[in-house]
Amino acid sequence: MRTEIKAIGGAMSDTGPDDLKRLGARLDEVQRKRARGARPAPSQVSIAYRFGAEMFAGVVGGGAIGWGLDWLFGRFGYPTKPWLMIVFVVLGTAAGIRNVMHAAKEINEQMAAQGSVPAVKSDEED
Amino acid sequence: MAAAMAPMEQFAVKPLVEHPLFHLFGHAIYFTNQALWMFIVVGAISAFMMAAVSKRSLVPSRLQSMAEISYEFVNNMINSAAGDEGLKFFPFVFTIFMFVLFCNVLGILPGSFTVTSQIAVTFALAAFIILLVIATGFMRHGIGFLKLFVPKAPFVLLLLLVPIEIISFFTRPISLSVRLFANMLAGHTMLKVFAAFVIMLGGAGGILAFLSIAPFALIVAITALELLVAFLQAYVFAILTCIYLGEAINLHDHH
Repeated sequence: MRTEIKAIGGAMSDTGPDDLKRLGARLDEVQRKRARGARPAPSQVSIAYRFGAEMFAGVVGGGAIGWGLDWLFGRFGYPTKPWLMIVFVVLGTAAGIRNVMHAAKEINEQMAAQGSVPAVKSDEED
Repeated sequence: MAAAMAPMEQFAVKPLVEHPLFHLFGHAIYFTNQALWMFIVVGAISAFMMAAVSKRSLVPSRLQSMAEISYEFVNNMINSAAGDEGLKFFPFVFTIFMFVLFCNVLGILPGSFTVTSQIAVTFALAAFIILLVIATGFMRHGIGFLKLFVPKAPFVLLLLLVPIEIISFFTRPISLSVRLFANMLAGHTMLKVFAAFVIMLGGAGGILAFLSIAPFALIVAITALELLVAFLQAYVFAILTCIYLGEAINLHDHH
């Protein structure tokens, strides 16, 4: 699609009037900007919701998985209750923190791509 | 007045027909206001798309432009998040996006029912998405899909990290559904609470009745904000679907 617009802009530079040439240049500019920051930066509220949901999901999801495993083992005659749930709530909390960190990293990248904040160099090695 | 004082009453799921439609596993299945609004949403999307593309003119009308913009929007979204391979899932992602968007937007109408304010609906959508991601991952990479759960780390740490990665994967549908549901629930509750202020101040009479203008102005502002949230949450829901699908397809996870 970008090449199409360039082609039109190019054709205009030969034959068309000046304002069409300018329009072509402006369309090029807009297309370039759009390609750079493809996703809109999230608002403060949506960041807050996102972090909240990620953390909540980690803790509750971990607890639910542990509870389910306890129930499953209980049915097969291994009374692990409540130990797996305790372990999985802790693991789930860790997973929640990991999710929030990834979300923060993602948001940083999005904002850096739009130039609203300077790029933060990730301290993870991958 | 009683309805205005109960801001959560709008989320009640009520059967519209007294007799259950049929029985499933011993549960009576009713036709509820929720089901009605899902039908309305699906009908509205179908009507919109059919009316928009019926002419198929080279220079699009306004309606056709809207359909084309939503098509291109989703197309670019998939392309940026999941690459060219992800475009195979265009019909799926487009359906999810339009369904959530129309549910959110139609929910703003006064007196309507917001389907996406029900955790049952959003979680069903999210659970289906994650099942599709798992199926796609295993179909494309076989057992190699499990590499998604193994970050680059020393072996001793992996003992701890792999369970965390697995839990984090399986909690995705929860965070996906909770975010959409919480946004819708919070916004609509807030609207109803401020609406109750208008009625209470108006009913108080005297100088207080004039003050009811203030919460009313707030309702107008919040309704505009809700429209933005409706679009944003539909977008977030769809783009996360794309990101998860992209991970399963390309396996270059974001670690």
